[in-house]
Amino acid sequence: MWKFTVRRILIMIPQIILLSVLIFIMAKMMPGDALSGLIDPNIDPETIAEQREKLGLNDPWHIQYANWVKDLFQGDLGMSFRYKMPVTELIGQRLANTVWLSLLTLVLIYAISIPLGLISGRYNDTWLDRVITGYTYIGFATPLFIFALVMLWFFGFTLGWFPTGGSVQPGVESGTFEYVMNRIYHMLLPALSMALITTVSTVQYLRNEIIDTKQKDFILTARAKGASESRIYNRHILRNSLLPIAAFFGYEITGLIGGTVFVESIFSYPGMGQLFLESIVQRDYSVATSLTLLFGIATILGALLSDIILSLVDPRIRIK
Amino acid sequence: MSILKVKDLKVHFPIKGGIFGRTVDYVKAVDGVSFSIEKGMTYGLVGESGSGKTTTGRAIIGLNKITSGNVLFEGKDITSYRRAKADYYKDVQMIFQDPYSSLNPRKRVLDIVAEPLRNFEKLSRQEEKKRVQELLELVGLSPESILKYPHQFSGGQRQRIGIARAIALKPKLIIADEPVSALDVSVQAQVLNFMQDIQKELDLTYLFISHDLGVIRHMCNRIGIMYKGRYVEEGTTEDIFNNPQHIYTKRLVAAIPDIDPNKRKEHAKFRQEVQREYEQSFNDYFDENGLAYDLQSISDTHLVALPKKG
Amino acid sequence: MKKDDTTMVETVEQPEQINSESPTGLKILWREIVRDKVALISLIFIVLITTIVFGVSLILDQDQIVKVDLLSIHQPPSDEFILGTDYGGRDVFGQLIIGTRNSLAIGFLVTLMTGVFGIIYGLTAGYFGGHVDNILMRILDFMMVLPFLMIVIVFVALVPKYSVWTFSLIMTAFLWMGIARLIRSKTLAEKELDYVQASKTLGSSNLKIMFTQVLPNLSSIIIVNMTLNLAANIGLESGLSFLGFGFPESTPSLGTLLSYATNPQTLQYRWWIWVPAALLILLLMLSVNNVGQALKRATDARQRRG
Repeated sequence: MWKFTVRRILIMIPQIILLSVLIFIMAKMMPGDALSGLIDPNIDPETIAEQREKLGLNDPWHIQYANWVKDLFQGDLGMSFRYKMPVTELIGQRLANTVWLSLLTLVLIYAISIPLGLISGRYNDTWLDRVITGYTYIGFATPLFIFALVMLWFFGFTLGWFPTGGSVQPGVESGTFEYVMNRIYHMLLPALSMALITTVSTVQYLRNEIIDTKQKDFILTARAKGASESRIYNRHILRNSLLPIAAFFGYEITGLIGGTVFVESIFSYPGMGQLFLESIVQRDYSVATSLTLLFGIATILGALLSDIILSLVDPRIRIK
Repeated sequence: MSILKVKDLKVHFPIKGGIFGRTVDYVKAVDGVSFSIEKGMTYGLVGESGSGKTTTGRAIIGLNKITSGNVLFEGKDITSYRRAKADYYKDVQMIFQDPYSSLNPRKRVLDIVAEPLRNFEKLSRQEEKKRVQELLELVGLSPESILKYPHQFSGGQRQRIGIARAIALKPKLIIADEPVSALDVSVQAQVLNFMQDIQKELDLTYLFISHDLGVIRHMCNRIGIMYKGRYVEEGTTEDIFNNPQHIYTKRLVAAIPDIDPNKRKEHAKFRQEVQREYEQSFNDYFDENGLAYDLQSISDTHLVALPKKG
Repeated sequence: MKKDDTTMVETVEQPEQINSESPTGLKILWREIVRDKVALISLIFIVLITTIVFGVSLILDQDQIVKVDLLSIHQPPSDEFILGTDYGGRDVFGQLIIGTRNSLAIGFLVTLMTGVFGIIYGLTAGYFGGHVDNILMRILDFMMVLPFLMIVIVFVALVPKYSVWTFSLIMTAFLWMGIARLIRSKTLAEKELDYVQASKTLGSSNLKIMFTQVLPNLSSIIIVNMTLNLAANIGLESGLSFLGFGFPESTPSLGTLLSYATNPQTLQYRWWIWVPAALLILLLMLSVNNVGQALKRATDARQRRG
């Protein structure tokens, strides 16, 4: 077990290094540098040149890279050109919004996929199964952004059941129960849009898994011994099918990150995805690169987590 | 002069392990095998599965990497450049065990049999087609089959297609790796007889790999017995079947079923005796790792793996 | 050579029905589609839309359509403008036709490019195995964990001479991994088969074996995978265009029309601008997926319908 984990972590290290190099190159390719966010253009060129030298912007690239990494470890991601504030602080404000949105989405994904997958797998080829399969079929083909737009249009504007933007109603006292409920109220529609689309592959997986397990010898044996149907499902089938699904959440992070970019922009939800798009449009590149780096690390860690959990659940993976 | 000479051939496969996937140990599939084959004869390589006989054959033709040792073909050392020097394949060919997976399911018979021709001989479409039809006729298939796919043939017919492909370049040596063991018993004899026919016709030399002593006895002039990657005994068919010296060979020969029903009891008793002797004297014939000793000559043609005396 | 009797016996007993078809070939895929009514309708729909869109866009004057006309902003559907106009007074119907054409074209292009690159990459890794495979798979694993959407957006924003071609190249650069991984795993299994070993002993070069022996045996899964990729790529392109990081502005796509719906007024009151585009994307992706799923069933004998 520990062998696999150590190997898996060792694989991750070069990945993170490569990612940082890639992001660094991207940052260097972008117009403007650390200075453009700091000074006002009226200062004479000589001072700027002096300033550049002092900040190490004329050093060879590998020294610049080393300094950049050193700053990263100290939590210094540079200055936002647009907001005139440290990127770390700027992201900090948005981070919580996105994390909460993602968490709610994850909860919804499992709340939807597990019952649907179970029903559809247990009662396969009934009308109920066909409805669920039909939903997964359409959900698989529907792009998230179109679905989110339709959700916003229907539940947000036409019916007016949900707010159409923001993360909280202005004027609600922070810290109160009302505040928390208001936050969830604002997150519900975006999270639901994302969950309903991303959940379909999990539903399909669970359905196939259950149908496969149903015909395995050990289930037939259990049935032959006279175990009740509900016992068979709860004790034997679920245990086999649910654990891998629980482990998938790390991989879901990749999808969620892409999803938040769309959903936050459609629902004007002030999270990191929206900040990312804004920063690109406004050419606030230090913010954009920092966010890409953060998302990249999140993806790598998510995959690591899932791999390790899966190796715990399924010993076959460990032998590699 | 012998057509093929194998000197102290070793093929070791690494076992990967540990966190970094380093090589922690080796599987010694072939560990010090030497023999030579005279032109025009059939040399049999016998052993149970895992004895290294197939690996030996594949190493000679270049499908497995040789760890150490030499392979000499017609006196030339071709150990290192077999894959690079494709000319070798004009002279040495292989017949595979499984007639199902050895023919590409997506290719027509024409393309399958013409593959070696396309690699070595610049023929026009017309010439190529004619050659393939001739080859098919030679192996006893109708020349009209060239546009069919392998799945339209029976196992025996497929093996004939494989043979047609192997003899297309008029090779001198053919390595036949269990060429009939995937076929029905009724078809085996046909294919074997046919292989003997084309051997005479084309003046071929065979390296015949099999686990079936009956087949080997029928086909071969000279036989090598392998056990765990090493030679146990080598000699003429006469030597091996009538005068087996090593206990392992004795047991193998004793295991051949006797056709005469009247002697069945006698034979069973004999087999039990050999089995008892095998168990008792195992340590005399194998070293502390259970491997065979080096070969010692006991006559002009007969070599046996025995511990050095004294 | 004089053939003995035993040899002759076998010659005669050849299978009766001589149908010179490849056993797992395109015929089976085609048969499966024709048998599956939904897939057949989907295929007809795709062909129809493609023909209409490419045909009509030949007649349409593209410059006329993308020209801003301030006198006819946000007009609802009428005889002059079948689907009304957008915020620049541009004909929505014309944009829809040209947008669909562009989206389809880029979908095909990216699918093809990722396919070619992924197939070569996967074949190389799987066929040679060992260190080559190790290195190639490490690179692939790294590409897989990149936050695809963000990196593509950053590159789109960065590339100086941005055009349809650079856009497809950027998409390709980050989308080839799925098919490469699939081809690699199939090649790993395939190369152990004796026909590959036989080809080696027959003197065929590695390159020749990879592309003329192994590749044809992977054709069905390649077709299935590329069909499903086509659907995904059309969706991705429209998504990126929706966010404003897809096609350059002079080239409308289905996503461009949808991006107008980020304006709440348009979303609420001017359905003619975004609903047709949304429906078209949905139907296209659903159809392509239907065809892909039917093909997938055809390659998996267990699920084949008959």
